[in-house]
Amino acid sequence: MQVYEVFRREREGAPMQHAGNLLAPDPELASHYAREFYGRRQESVRLWVVPRAAIVDLDDPDLLQPPFDRSFKKPVGYSTEIKAKLATARSRAGTAPEHEKERR
Amino acid sequence: MTAQVLDAPVRTALAGLLLAMADDEFVLGFWDSEWTGIAPVLEEDVAIASLAQDEIGHAQALYRLLAELEGGDADEIAFGRPPEGYRHARLLDHPRTDWAFTVARRFLYDTADAARLDVLAAASYAPLAEVVAKMRREETYHLLHMHAWLERLADGGDEPRSRLVAALERLWPDALCVLGGIEDDDLLVEAGVLAEPMAAVRRRWLAGLAPELERLGLPGPPPAPPAGCRGPDHSDDFRWLWDQFTMVRRSDPEAVW
Repeated sequence: MQVYEVFRREREGAPMQHAGNLLAPDPELASHYAREFYGRRQESVRLWVVPRAAIVDLDDPDLLQPPFDRSFKKPVGYSTEIKAKLATARSRAGTAPEHEKERR
Repeated sequence: MTAQVLDAPVRTALAGLLLAMADDEFVLGFWDSEWTGIAPVLEEDVAIASLAQDEIGHAQALYRLLAELEGGDADEIAFGRPPEGYRHARLLDHPRTDWAFTVARRFLYDTADAARLDVLAAASYAPLAEVVAKMRREETYHLLHMHAWLERLADGGDEPRSRLVAALERLWPDALCVLGGIEDDDLLVEAGVLAEPMAAVRRRWLAGLAPELERLGLPGPPPAPPAGCRGPDHSDDFRWLWDQFTMVRRSDPEAVW
């Protein structure tokens, strides 16, 4: 028996999302069980059934959580600055949205 | 074609066919639901319970057709008859037994049922053709599941194989009853409900199975079905099952859910 990870699409256009996993002796029965676990109530329009062994697993902190400050790589600072400038411009033009008027 | 335009003898024959098919699905569904909680692995537990529910759903659709055709209430037809009133095939008179037995029975039943649905797909009685079209879509998956298990047990070593062979040998005669015991099927052929008589459906089913059975080295059918394919005499095992599945309703037949 091996573990299969199952991904499902809830409706056309939606992303594939991890649904869960199951044990099966081979891909054929894995697909049957995936259908029963994640499709029998018509809750999926597509399933991906993947042997867990086929997944490239990354969890090395040196790769994913390096020790230096990386806040400058985040878009947050940039967008905060843009939002402030936008609010000022709107205020000058008298078109500030209600919630921004209240704040001042 | 609607119920109003059917001649009385055709209508009676159609009602007989619907009852036989509905009872087959109903009783099989209850037997297989007996695996809930004790199937070989958790995944198969979920799968067989879901398949069993599918069969109950098919039975419900067929009982409703029968109620529309003959009048009456689908639930009353399903639960309100004494054991000898059921018309399921002898194949469904056997108890759950072991996993190989369940696989053998479902394999024989699902393949025979597929052959039966094939000749009903173009039925001139539109309400039946619609239900059959839906059933065929689900039964395709049931067939894949049972073929997969048949192969694994046949090639799975001494014990699985010997259990499977013993089950097939015990079940084969009664399996022939799934495509038997339908009265006046020639009238249904004339009326365009069935594409061909049941005897021809049975020959086609057996011819289709032969290559797979040969490849897996599994036993084939006897020359003819036993007498009394669809009751009224049923096994004590069925009487036990009937007692189980009618228990709640019998406790208060007037209850509203």
